[in-house]
Amino acid sequence: MNSSFLDRLLRNWLTLRKPVSRLQAVGLGVACILLCLTGWWLITHGANESRLVGPLTLPSPAETFSKFSELWNDFALTRNVLVTLRRVSIGFALALMVGIPIGVTAGCFPRVHAFLSPLIMIGRNVPLAAVLPLMIFIFGAGEKNKVMFIFVASVAFVISDAARAIMDVSARYIDTAYTLGASRWQTISKVLVPLAAPTIFSACRQMFGLAFGYIMLAESIKIADEVGGLGYQIQIFQRRGFREHIYLIILVIPMVALVIDQVLAWIQRQLFPHMHGGDGMLRSLVRITLIPWESLKSLVFYRTPVSLSSAATEERLK
Amino acid sequence: MSQPPAQVIGMGTVLDHVRTPQEVLRPHVVEFRNVTKTYNAGKADEFTAIRDVTFVVEDVVEKGEFICVLGPSGCGKSTILRSIAGLEPQHPATSGEVLVLGQPVVGPGSDRGMVFQDYTSFDHRTVLENVTFGLECLHMPRKPRDELGREWIHKMGLNVGTDAHKYPHELSGGMRQRVAIARTLILKPRIILMDEPFGALDPLTRLNMQDLLVKLWKEVQATVFFITHSIEEAVFLGDRVYLMSNSPGTILEELKIEPATSSANEMQRQPKFLEAVYYIRDKITKLESNQ
Repeated sequence: MNSSFLDRLLRNWLTLRKPVSRLQAVGLGVACILLCLTGWWLITHGANESRLVGPLTLPSPAETFSKFSELWNDFALTRNVLVTLRRVSIGFALALMVGIPIGVTAGCFPRVHAFLSPLIMIGRNVPLAAVLPLMIFIFGAGEKNKVMFIFVASVAFVISDAARAIMDVSARYIDTAYTLGASRWQTISKVLVPLAAPTIFSACRQMFGLAFGYIMLAESIKIADEVGGLGYQIQIFQRRGFREHIYLIILVIPMVALVIDQVLAWIQRQLFPHMHGGDGMLRSLVRITLIPWESLKSLVFYRTPVSLSSAATEERLK
Repeated sequence: MSQPPAQVIGMGTVLDHVRTPQEVLRPHVVEFRNVTKTYNAGKADEFTAIRDVTFVVEDVVEKGEFICVLGPSGCGKSTILRSIAGLEPQHPATSGEVLVLGQPVVGPGSDRGMVFQDYTSFDHRTVLENVTFGLECLHMPRKPRDELGREWIHKMGLNVGTDAHKYPHELSGGMRQRVAIARTLILKPRIILMDEPFGALDPLTRLNMQDLLVKLWKEVQATVFFITHSIEEAVFLGDRVYLMSNSPGTILEELKIEPATSSANEMQRQPKFLEAVYYIRDKITKLESNQ
């Protein structure tokens, strides 16, 4: 073995925080998946009796993937994924609609924050498994209790993250806005919120992943008129002993989560080009849609300020 | 009051005392009357930033004065500036009066524009959107606003075509401060407050910015308050230099400076320029060693 080659290879691979090329990064990821599949295959290959891990505990990869078409067709995988997604999305959207305005207000005004802090503290520490039955009491069986469960699980985090993001904007930006003549409301809407927005978005992106996990919990409680969803499917498969299907769903969930996360990452780049280096398509779109509103405000409010008119300069020269 | 002759040192003239509002007859742009600012009064960490500060800046016809404030570190220079701007927590003063154009300061406003040392460009806005921020707050329609913005970007020596749509993080420190200055000057403020605006720039950029500032200041005819640690900068830019004492700061001396006749780089080689610089440097060195 050529030791200097090994030496160079090690030094190259083990340099601290050395950036890796995109191709290599993908290649390494694929290698990891292949390694896991090989491990899975190794411990489950052979006749049923000679396996390292029995088929009742862990079916082999071939057995598992052979059931995919059944899951897709007979058990309507797509529909169930969509049902689950719909619940999480509605619940989470509600949490954002309620949580962000409250959080921003709390971040801007410490007195509001002090007033709300007990509620936020309780909301963040509430035992979710205990809340679930309550949701069923309050909202009954069906969609509402699941949507509200996601709402309750995430709203306190949305509020506190939004408040924290606003509070973390340096005071010097407020001073600057004020000395440029911005009103308090303009300082909030044109400076504090836009500067905090990327942080709030990142926090929410992470939280959406968590909410996706919580919905499984809500769906796994069986009530009379149950209407599907991935969590519910898992429940059914467990009762029927369909191990392969459960493993498949466990593999499907991260895929769905990955797709959603990539979509959110794209939105993030298009909305906040100054933070994430995108081309800011959505940001431009937002600004364009605001133009008529802005023009309307100009019509109503704009008066040529004394200091900018030429009369003022002449006056000063007298 | 008896008036002993003022002392001439190079380009500067050290007045025998700091002028008070009562003795200046022309209209006052800014006046401080016995202003003291104490934080956490009565508590263990009580701290007096400035004590009994009295001075007056007169309204000079056809041009504002360029006032530089020099002093040892921590002497309360920023406190004076932020009191004029009306920014908390420096505003309101614990005692005494801060008057701008004869009116007490009640809060911040665009008539007193401020440029900070830290880069305070709004990161989410492009250069053009940063420069026109104040006009946007006045609800000026988009078209004239952007035109005026481009005009100022050009005046600041930035390239309208390539720089207007860049974000602040794509700019160098010098360019960011150009944006910050343009953003303030576009509003034609009566008073411009600058808190060490060139403190973070490299020496060459700093000299260029000084020349640019002199040029633009003549155009906007505003009174400038300029805080700096660089004595050369103060003597080059200032019509008047206030020299502050150790903390709690008060104004020790007022110097009148001859206007500069050439660029920053050339002025700084002239003996009478250096004489004034050395005089002030000795004073500040002495103050800092007594701290």
